[in-house]
Amino acid sequence: MKFRYSLEVLAVLAIVAFCALFLFIQSAVPGAEFAGSDNVGSNLIGELSGRSLESFTPLVPQWEPPSGEIEACLFALQAAIGGILVGGVFGYWLGQKNKA
Amino acid sequence: MHIMEGFLPLQWCLVWWIVALPCVIFGIYQLKKILAADREALPLLGVTGGFIFILSSLKLPSVTGSCSHPTGTGLSTISFGPWITAVVCSIVLLFQSLFLAHGGLSVLGANIVSMGIIGPLAGYAIYRVLRDTRADIFLTVFLATAVADMVTYVTTSLQLALAYPAETGGFAGSFILFLGIFAVTQVPLAIVEGIVLALVFKYIIALKPDILIRLKVFSEERILKARGEME
Repeated sequence: MKFRYSLEVLAVLAIVAFCALFLFIQSAVPGAEFAGSDNVGSNLIGELSGRSLESFTPLVPQWEPPSGEIEACLFALQAAIGGILVGGVFGYWLGQKNKA
Repeated sequence: MHIMEGFLPLQWCLVWWIVALPCVIFGIYQLKKILAADREALPLLGVTGGFIFILSSLKLPSVTGSCSHPTGTGLSTISFGPWITAVVCSIVLLFQSLFLAHGGLSVLGANIVSMGIIGPLAGYAIYRVLRDTRADIFLTVFLATAVADMVTYVTTSLQLALAYPAETGGFAGSFILFLGIFAVTQVPLAIVEGIVLALVFKYIIALKPDILIRLKVFSEERILKARGEME
């Protein structure tokens, strides 16, 4: 018989390897800042176009979260919306299955 | 993979909006048709869309010493095709540009094209090629998801390189520079995302195989076989 949980084991191994890789990079590259790749990309745009980053102004006026904490809160809210959808539906399906 | 507000010249914003809009409108039309035919598709849309919400909010550290986020578009692409995925991605990207200052309204078109259209299209192509072969179902989901994720970031690099060609090397030169930032960072994230979403697909098969059969995601015989192996 085939082992039932091979995919689960593989997923756990992948996540552990991913975390190990992060710890390794963090200690091997002391200067690594772990900034967002979006920001690194923006810096490259500045270099390529020879303009300062401040000269890139929004074309459409944009609201910005007033602090990093509020931004983190809104990101968590986004993940929570997804979590509610996923958990809700799996629960709904499980209920349907048990009833049948 | 977001292009920041103001970082794309106006003409390119317009080009990507013109590409994105018809795809999203076609997606809304398709979505209405599917839901009118089968209301039970709605929970599946909730799960696959929910993963786009969750995964695209996770900024994870990667090998290059910078952070990036997965896209989570693979499951939705496999279940509903790339156009409906574009609709879900538009909602996520609109949320992020309005409330998080990630991306923006002028660059929304460009970001929808990379995360919602080209990435999912590439993943969908892999899925369509492998669907009718003997390739394992979960391997197919893994590959389609990982490719959709990677191609999203390759597309972002392409969009930026088109707008900002390097002085030496031109378009190709800056494409390689942007790939170095976006695509390399993304490799480990795409692999982990592929494995995790393949696992989620296993649970969908375990709980609700009939909806996958009705939407013809995989043939009935193969879904029941994958299900039989779990019990």
